[in-house]
Amino acid sequence: MSEHHITPLRTYLIIAASLLFLSGVTVWVSYIDLGSFNIVLAMFVATVKASLVAFFFMHLLWDDKKNLIMFLMSLMFFGIFVTITMLDTAFRGDLGLNPETKDPINKRAAFYDTLPLTDTHGHPVDEHSGKHDEDKDHH
Amino acid sequence: MSENMKQNYLNHPKGIMSWLLTLDHKRIGLMYLVSGILFFFLGGLLALVMRFELAAPGNDIISNEIYNNAYTLHGAIMIFLFIIPAIPGALGNILLPLMVGAKDVAFPRLNLASFYIYSFGALFALYTIINGGVDTGWTFYTPYSTQSSSNVVPMTLGIFIIGFSSILTGLNFIATVHKMRIPGLTWYKLPLFVWALYGTSLVQITATPVLAITMVLLMLERFLGIGIFDPALGGDPVLYQHFFWFYSHPAVYIMILPAFGIISEIIPVHSRKKIWGYKFIAYSTLSIAFIGFLVWGHHMFTSGQSVFSQIVFSFITYFVGIPTGVKIFSWILTMYKGQVSFTPPMFYALAFLFLFTIGGLTGIFLGAVALDIHLHDTYFVVAHFHYVMQGGTIVAFLGGLHHWWPKSFGVMYNQTIANIAALGVFIGFNGTFFPQFLLGLRGMPRRYATYDEQFVELHSYSTFWSGILGISIFIAVMNLFWSFIKRNKVDPGSNPWGGMTLEWTHTSSPPHPHNFEEEPVLQHGPYDYDKVIVQKTYKK
Repeated sequence: MSEHHITPLRTYLIIAASLLFLSGVTVWVSYIDLGSFNIVLAMFVATVKASLVAFFFMHLLWDDKKNLIMFLMSLMFFGIFVTITMLDTAFRGDLGLNPETKDPINKRAAFYDTLPLTDTHGHPVDEHSGKHDEDKDHH
Repeated sequence: MSENMKQNYLNHPKGIMSWLLTLDHKRIGLMYLVSGILFFFLGGLLALVMRFELAAPGNDIISNEIYNNAYTLHGAIMIFLFIIPAIPGALGNILLPLMVGAKDVAFPRLNLASFYIYSFGALFALYTIINGGVDTGWTFYTPYSTQSSSNVVPMTLGIFIIGFSSILTGLNFIATVHKMRIPGLTWYKLPLFVWALYGTSLVQITATPVLAITMVLLMLERFLGIGIFDPALGGDPVLYQHFFWFYSHPAVYIMILPAFGIISEIIPVHSRKKIWGYKFIAYSTLSIAFIGFLVWGHHMFTSGQSVFSQIVFSFITYFVGIPTGVKIFSWILTMYKGQVSFTPPMFYALAFLFLFTIGGLTGIFLGAVALDIHLHDTYFVVAHFHYVMQGGTIVAFLGGLHHWWPKSFGVMYNQTIANIAALGVFIGFNGTFFPQFLLGLRGMPRRYATYDEQFVELHSYSTFWSGILGISIFIAVMNLFWSFIKRNKVDPGSNPWGGMTLEWTHTSSPPHPHNFEEEPVLQHGPYDYDKVIVQKTYKK
C-alpha cells in the first residue's frame, strides 16, 4: 500500500478495552461447566481477539486485500484441519456394522451375524446381546 | 564480447566473503545446489547400503539396528534436506527473478537468512548421524518416537529449524511474483515454472507451520509429560498422524509441483511448440496445491481412524488425479506435431512422463481403502513413492539442471555422456523399483532388514539395478561438474535450446551480477513458438 493509514487513538483504546473485556469473558466462562462446549467457546473468543489485533493493531483492515486473503486462508486451513480430524475422533470405532445406525453393504454377509452389536462408540449393546448369542448357537 | 559481458555473477565480486555474505539470488541458489547435491549423495549412499543388505536374506552387512537407522536417515535426509529445499532453493532461486525480469528476489537479505537457517538445521541432522542416528522412520510416529532412546530430539529440532527456511523462501517467492514482475508481464504471460513455484510457495507457508507445531508438541510430551499423543497421559496417538500428515501430504506437493514446472518448461522448448493448455496447467497447479490439503488421511487407512473419515479421504484422494491428468495430457499434446529433439533435458522429461505416470496411477490404487489395507506398509508403497519422488521429482530436477546448466554457469556438458547417463537412470530406476511393486503385492513388508526365501529373486534384481541407478546418477552429476571444471564455455549470448523466456532472451550466460544490463522489455509470451522464430545459438 502506498498510502499509510493513520488510526485515531480512540480506536486503539476501544480495541484495547475490548481485548481486556474478552479476556475477562474467557476467565468467566471457564468457571461455568458447559462440557465440551467450553473449549469451543474459549477458542472462539481467542479467535475474535486475534482477529481484532490483526485487523486494527496490525492494520490488516486497511491493508492490501491480498494480505486479508492470506489471513482468511490460514483460518480456512485451520478449520479444515480441525473439522476433518474431529470427523475421525467423533466416529472412531464405528465400523458401520450396527443395524441401528448403519446398514452393511451386503446384508447377507456371513460375518455380520457373528459380530456382537455395538453402539456408535463400540460399546456392546446389552438388550440385544442375549438374543444374539442364541443366534450364534444355531451356526 | 563487451567488457560488461565478461563480468558475471560467478566472477564478480571475488573473495570468500563475497560468497558468504552475498545477497545475489543466483549465488544463494548455487550454494543451495551444492549443499543439496551433497545431501543427495549422502542419502543415496545410505540407500545403496540398504539395497546391498537386502541382496540376500539375513544380516549380511549391517545389523538390524543400523538398518533401522539407515532407512530413517535416508528418508529424512532425502526429503527434508534434499528434495524439499533443492528445487525451490536451487533452481527456483537462480531462475525465478530472471524469469520475471527482476534484479533479485523481493527480500534478498531474507533469502540469505533462509540459506543459513537451512544450514543451521542441517547441522543438527549431521550431529544426529555422528551421534548414533535415529531409528523411528522419517515419520517419527508416536508412541515410539516419544520413547526411543535414539536421537529423536536433535533430528526433529533440525527439521523444525529447516521448516522456517522453507517458510521464508516461500514468502520471498510469493512477494517476488506479486511485486517484481516487469511491466507487461501479466499472470498469463508468466512461465509455467513461475506458476509452479508460486503454488509451491503457497503450500510452504500454509503447511509448514503445522510441522513445526507437531515437532513442538512431540517435544512437550517427551520432556514435560504433557498428554497429547500418549493415551496413558490422556492423549491420542492417531492425533500425531493427523498432525504429521496435515503437513507431510501437502509436502508431497511441495516436492512434486516444482518438478511439474520444470517439465512445463523443458517440453515446449525442446519440442519447439507452444505449450498446450497454458491456463489449464497453471490452474491445475493451484488446484493440486489446494486439494493436497484435504487428503492427508489416506496415509492413515490402517491407523484405526474412523471408517467415515476413511471414506471421505479416499473419495477426495481421487480428485488429485484430475489436475494431474490435465498436466500429463497437456504435455503429451505439446509434443504432438512439434519438433522434438532428443537432448538430455528432453530425455529426462520423457523419462519423467513415463515414471511419474506409473507413480501417479499406483497412487490411485493406494487411495482405495479396501486395497490400501492390504498394501499398506509393504514394498508396493515403497515403489509407489519412489516412482513419484525419484522417478518424478529427482528425474525432473536432473532434467532442469541439464536444461539450465549452460544458462546458470555458462558451460556446456558432454551431451552424449549426459544422454547415456539419462538412459542409465531410466533403466536402472525401473529395474530397482518395478520389482518392488511385485514384492509388495506378494506381501514383503517395508522397513525389514531381512526376509523370507520366496522374495530372494526379486530383491536381488532390485539390488543389482540399484547399483546401475547409483552409477548412472553419479555419472550424470559428474558430467555436469566436469564441464564446470574443464571450463567448456559457451558464448555468453548463446541460447542453446532456443528458449523464449526472459532468462534465455535477455541475459548473458552466466547472467550479469544484476541479471539484466537494462530492464528487459517483453516482446512475446513464454512459449510463442507459433508467432516468433527463436534461433538456437550455441558457440564455444
